[in-house]
Amino acid sequence: MAKIKGYVEVNTARCKGCDLCVVSCPTDVLELQPREVNDRGYHFVYMKHPDECIGCANCGYVCPEGCLTVYRMKV
Amino acid sequence: MAEEISLMKGNEAVAHAAIRYGVDGYFGYPITPQSEIIETLMEMAPWETTGMVVLQAESEVAAINMVYGGAACGKYAMTTSSSPGISLKQEGISYMAGAELPCLIVNVQRGGPGLGTIQPSQADYFQTVKGGGHGDYKLITLAPNSVQEMADFVALGFDLAFKYRNPAMILTDGVIGQMMEKVKLPGYRPRRSEEEIREQCPWATLGKPASRGPNIITSLELDSVEMEKNNERFQAKYRVVEENEVRYEEIKCADADYLLVAFGSAARICMKTIEMAREEGIRVGMVRPITLWPFPSKVLNGYAGQVKGMLTVELNAGQMVEDVRLAVNGKVPVEHYGRLGGIVPTPDGVLDALKEKIIHE
Repeated sequence: MAKIKGYVEVNTARCKGCDLCVVSCPTDVLELQPREVNDRGYHFVYMKHPDECIGCANCGYVCPEGCLTVYRMKV
Repeated sequence: MAEEISLMKGNEAVAHAAIRYGVDGYFGYPITPQSEIIETLMEMAPWETTGMVVLQAESEVAAINMVYGGAACGKYAMTTSSSPGISLKQEGISYMAGAELPCLIVNVQRGGPGLGTIQPSQADYFQTVKGGGHGDYKLITLAPNSVQEMADFVALGFDLAFKYRNPAMILTDGVIGQMMEKVKLPGYRPRRSEEEIREQCPWATLGKPASRGPNIITSLELDSVEMEKNNERFQAKYRVVEENEVRYEEIKCADADYLLVAFGSAARICMKTIEMAREEGIRVGMVRPITLWPFPSKVLNGYAGQVKGMLTVELNAGQMVEDVRLAVNGKVPVEHYGRLGGIVPTPDGVLDALKEKIIHE
């Protein structure tokens, strides 16, 4: 069976750093930016371990802002 | 247009509700976590449809004084900000209370003191209900706990403000402001005409006809005898508000042995705590004050004879707990649980605090 690799695109301007996606990720891919903030002052989410992403889209489902887009690729 | 159901943030709901209510002027200044209100208004451009003015002032101080000007003409004028910005507006709020001008102010609280953090907090409770600005005045204070109430309280706030000629405030926080939820928006109301304002607000400064003397809007009175009379008039008005406008919600109170007291976002968290406690066989209820001033003291005093203890849950170091203690006057133990600086309490944290501080398990 082909392996699925995922990628999470973040609308950083809209992210409010609520942490829900970070908690929902089964493979600990996501983290809130420890230093950088967006123009509202929120620590936005980013892919800390992009290689671990399985494209399950849990983060996309729980994001209350709808600011995550998940892509899946067969490798 | 008629009512509409939508999914949006609490902040966006305030903006939509303001346009639909027929507000004449919005004067604001951006600050997280409140900026979506002014952003939504700018995006919707109501000056092209209802004729509502939306203006980003040069500062918070300018914004509140623009509201003063609008309100003096009997217009529906409002401003919104978050904690540091609301501190800047306090002088204007005191002046408006002194000049008996109605307006709506929204405070989407964030953690303080100082610039603090941009995460939610309820630490402006004292500032809002105990004064904030100088002088003996009171602010009609509404505390929404949902996006629906954010929308509804725009209308309620203006109605109460104009009924009593007093500023009203929606005291909310970053949780409710940023949270997305289903909301039923009211239908559009046309803005009032000059004639309607003249009729409803005979005190408004809209030009002096020959039939009456000039209307003067001021908070200044250098004659102390007159100023005392003014103050007595304000106090008499505040007693009427306290008598007639107390609003609160009682949740599972009928058989409760223990009572949680919480407002706004803290009350949302406590809903889950009540569920968890009842699963364990602990009968917990909650009184949620909707008006923080006037405070539902009589209701809480009534429960003092029924429950074994009360716990206030707040996103602060213990502010409303003092009003609850005054209300029950020593009849039952009242303790406080809160998280500070932008941290939001968890339902289990509240339950543990209830067991530790009130049930003494």
